[in-house]
Amino acid sequence: MIRFIIQRLLQLIPAILISSFIIFFAMNLTGGDPAMIIAGDKASAERIEQVREEYGFNDPVPVQYIRYMAGLVRGDMGISYVTNKDVFKSFMARLPATMELAFASVFFAVLLSIPLGIYTAINQNTWKDNLGMVFALFGVSMPNFWLGLILILFFSLRLGWFPSGGRSGIISVVLPAATVGLGLAALITRTTRSAMLDVIRQDYIRTAKAKGASDRAVIYKHALGNALIPIITVIGLQLANVLTGSVLAESVFAWPGIARLIFDHISKRDTPMVTGSIILCSIMMCLVNTVVDIIYAFVDPRIKAQYVRKG
Amino acid sequence: MTELQQKQRNTTLVMTCPLIITGVVFEKVRCAKKINSKGEKGMKKITSLVLCLVMIFSLVVGCSQGNKDAATGTDEGTSSSKETGSPRIKDTLVIGSAAEINNLDLLAQNDQINNICLKLTHETLIFFTNDGKLEPELAESWEYVDDTTLEIKLKENVKFHDGTPMTAEDVKFTYEMCLNSNASTLMAGLKSVDVIDDYTVRLNLESYDNEFLMNLTAVNVGIQSKKAYESGMDEPYLVGTGQYKFEEWVSGEYVSFVRNENYWDPENAGVAERIIFRPIIEASARTIALQNGEIDVCIDPPINELQFLEKDDNIVVHEQPGTRLFYFAFNTTKEPWNNKTLRQAVAHAINRDDVLTVAVDGKGTPQTTILNRGLWGFYDEMEGFPYDLEKAKAKMAEAGYPDGGISTKLLIANSTPYTDIATVIQDNLKQIGIDVIIDVVEDATLKEICTKGEQELFLWRWNEDQKVDWVYNDLFATGSPYNYHHYSNPVADDLIYKVRTERDQEQRYQYGVELQELLVDDCAQVPLYIANLVIAYNKGLRGQYLFGGGNHDWSRAYIELQ
Amino acid sequence: METATAKSAHPVYRSRGLASETMRRLKKNKGAIIGLIFMVLLVVVTIASGFIYDYEKDIIGQNISERFKAPGLEYPFGTDQVGRNIFARVIYGARFSLAISAGAVAIGLVVGIILGSIAGFYGGLVDDIIMRINDVLYAIPNIMIAVVIVSLLGTNTFNLLLALSVSATTTVSRVARASVMTIRGQEFIEAAYAIGVPTWKIILKHIVPNCLSPIIVQTTLLIGTTIIATSSLSFLGIGVPAPAPEWGAMLSEGRDYMRSAGYICVIPGFAIMLTVLALNLLGDGLRDALDPKLKK
Repeated sequence: MIRFIIQRLLQLIPAILISSFIIFFAMNLTGGDPAMIIAGDKASAERIEQVREEYGFNDPVPVQYIRYMAGLVRGDMGISYVTNKDVFKSFMARLPATMELAFASVFFAVLLSIPLGIYTAINQNTWKDNLGMVFALFGVSMPNFWLGLILILFFSLRLGWFPSGGRSGIISVVLPAATVGLGLAALITRTTRSAMLDVIRQDYIRTAKAKGASDRAVIYKHALGNALIPIITVIGLQLANVLTGSVLAESVFAWPGIARLIFDHISKRDTPMVTGSIILCSIMMCLVNTVVDIIYAFVDPRIKAQYVRKG
Repeated sequence: MTELQQKQRNTTLVMTCPLIITGVVFEKVRCAKKINSKGEKGMKKITSLVLCLVMIFSLVVGCSQGNKDAATGTDEGTSSSKETGSPRIKDTLVIGSAAEINNLDLLAQNDQINNICLKLTHETLIFFTNDGKLEPELAESWEYVDDTTLEIKLKENVKFHDGTPMTAEDVKFTYEMCLNSNASTLMAGLKSVDVIDDYTVRLNLESYDNEFLMNLTAVNVGIQSKKAYESGMDEPYLVGTGQYKFEEWVSGEYVSFVRNENYWDPENAGVAERIIFRPIIEASARTIALQNGEIDVCIDPPINELQFLEKDDNIVVHEQPGTRLFYFAFNTTKEPWNNKTLRQAVAHAINRDDVLTVAVDGKGTPQTTILNRGLWGFYDEMEGFPYDLEKAKAKMAEAGYPDGGISTKLLIANSTPYTDIATVIQDNLKQIGIDVIIDVVEDATLKEICTKGEQELFLWRWNEDQKVDWVYNDLFATGSPYNYHHYSNPVADDLIYKVRTERDQEQRYQYGVELQELLVDDCAQVPLYIANLVIAYNKGLRGQYLFGGGNHDWSRAYIELQ
Repeated sequence: METATAKSAHPVYRSRGLASETMRRLKKNKGAIIGLIFMVLLVVVTIASGFIYDYEKDIIGQNISERFKAPGLEYPFGTDQVGRNIFARVIYGARFSLAISAGAVAIGLVVGIILGSIAGFYGGLVDDIIMRINDVLYAIPNIMIAVVIVSLLGTNTFNLLLALSVSATTTVSRVARASVMTIRGQEFIEAAYAIGVPTWKIILKHIVPNCLSPIIVQTTLLIGTTIIATSSLSFLGIGVPAPAPEWGAMLSEGRDYMRSAGYICVIPGFAIMLTVLALNLLGDGLRDALDPKLKK
């Protein structure tokens, strides 16, 4: 198991190399002169040149990249061009908000999807099943921000139940989480449904039924437990995606998360902030995936055995 | 003097809070009524009448009293009103901003929203009023000893947040630091600073400049504490002399400032206990937040939603002439736009009224000259190029394109209202046979492309409310980095220099008019309109000081609870 | 066309033609049928709109005096902020939304299948390199990649296609690789080698057709997500440039008028929602129909 984790962590190194390389060069070789942005709207030509010198923009990009990577190896992710603050600290300052939104959305999605998935599976191929699946698909069929705006108009402006945006206590996370969560519901519902269907067909369920166990007991005690593995996989994947993929929801709800941090700083050509944040994001994704894999092992002894054999 | 009067009025209002408590009884009755039945309008009217009377009474009394113990008065007011459970002044003023606050180091940051925040914590030697006058702030007085020497006397009772007095050393320290920072442009022309005594400095200038004093009004060059820098503390740039002290910055959520209880000028001290800036980028969300009472001020409300705000009894929509000039322009070095007659043909083909309607729902003023309205020497009487398709077509023929047949690219930034303006212009130019492809890029990219001169047509804006030189010189002088038109005309260059240095103001005005006429006729730029400043806020807002250019001063603003 | 490819391929898993078998099963799924009918109708209507409306005059031509007309008899869906007929734009705009998404997915398919097959077929170092890069791109959410690419390279149709195709490519190449790896060891492939068929021919003739079914499902679903991604980019101000009536662009222009003239934003939103819903229903139906596990 430990070897498996180490192996996973080692895989991070090429990931960091590749993503930092792509982002760093993309940031530098495309339009938008960072020196002009740092120096400000009314800066003189001399001032812009001075900034270029100060920040080393006059060096060729590969030299700048090597300098950046040298810093990275020492654990220094650099200083943002815009805020003059440490990139790592800025990222970490935004992380709680992102985590809160991600977990809340996934929680919302699970709350909606698992019952819906079970319901549709039990009623397989009836109109209830069809209706349930269409309902689950609605969220993923709508542009996220559009749904967000409509939710704000209705629940915040019309009814006044929730704040329109910002992060102020548990109540403020409801609308953004619902927006993002509805988008995730489709996949989780579908996975739950098909996993349940797979399990329901198994012999032991038939046995349980034959023994005279009630439907409810069969579904919740026997079937759901065994259907959990694919559901956990999907939830894990979704969680990893939501961590950085909710830039639109963050923008609509003024949610101070990582995605918006990256988006804002791309437009300012803030190379250290963007590159650093993307690297940290890929590390985060990797960690989440590793954790999901470890959870598997606990849920399913077969997989655990497999890893132990490999390790 | 408007500002001073306003400040005085506010102080007296605050000071006489205890008197207003008389009205609290009525207020309570009103609140109770409100809960029981919403329809009791008669009662409401009586209550508000009584409240008004109490207010007027307290104002009169307040004016006859001295202003010295204003601070204690405020404290009494807040505490006693708290006891009765109905404070008159909201503890916190929350301002919803349209942009993210990203840097609070005066000399490193560039964005307007940072400037607005910093106006709470820092002060400049000279204050620039919203009707274009210079008034002393930290300076007592100033005079030119000779053409290149400016002597400034400082106020002697000014204290930084940490209690140390502000002296000439701090001014010298700040200004010298400016020279090596982003604010260096603001200090262009400054050679050195001499300390004459503790409260007198002399600025040595390279040459006479009509507008040098205006440089000293920018918040970027607000006076910082030398001692704070020497102490090695974190973020020494946050120590200023202003009415508020920096409290907390939660990235992406808010920046909060708390009242400086030891402000050096008690008459003009801050009123609200705390001022918070909350960025809400999405415009609709920002107006909804205002209507829900989550914020008290909504900067840049979307024009299309003003009707809802206007309908809301608790909200005031304020409009005043702005200074932000939106313009359409040519790269005058690119074929075929190096042809002046062709440029004029295009100018005739643009329907500015439609642009204004679509872009800001008519909340602005169409404009002929290239100078921002409200600046010194603004002159808009020239004929220019009014919308006239016949003339446009005639000019096209004259320029050698009788059937049009030009295909070109219009470079715009990906923010409002450029897309709207561009679609209208695209449609306009089609009428004279010019096919326009709209090329949308980010601000940063647009600036770079335009500096390099790779664009053909572009849309941009220029916001200037202080110095005419920053319009003439920055946008039109040969070789200026912001001369995106790559326009070059020795006659214009000469006039720009004369406007900057001519001391006879009559004569200088004439030069200015001549210059504007020349620039309009050369048509490197087609000015479209000046957008009005529109801002929406809670109707209880008092003490705000708004600038048409958007650099508002909130240091004395507060919400009066009704 | 599918029948043709299916016939030419070696019938490993299926005894009947892929298409007819699929159709038989698909017919049982009402949702999928509704989705299919909707998509066919949409394509027909958008093609027809090309004959009814003149692009210059009816679609992008402005009429400022007619702006903000609420939906009614004259304008079924109302008019927008420069007085354009929203009905005409939505109908006509379907081709932009569909073409951009289909285009991006097509690029993704070609590149993804090539990369995936190469990785799956050769294995070893080649596989490692391709899949590591793929992993990185897969780890960063689609929308982030698209935002980075478009905002850095500039907003035009080509960059948009490029940005949107990246996420399609990563998905497709994973699916392709997985399929190839299961097929690679089969006897008929070894037989083809033995008789000296060149590698590229083996990939094209034997392997690609055999991983078609997961790819067809993915394509349907990807077009849906790409439509949404396009509109999201437009929302962030880096999507399809004006004045094209792409739904996302219409929606994003309309969001400024969300409260005063909500229909400007709501109608294209519904168009997107219904289309993506139809694609999802169809995709889900196809997945069930093509899934050998569910075969009875």
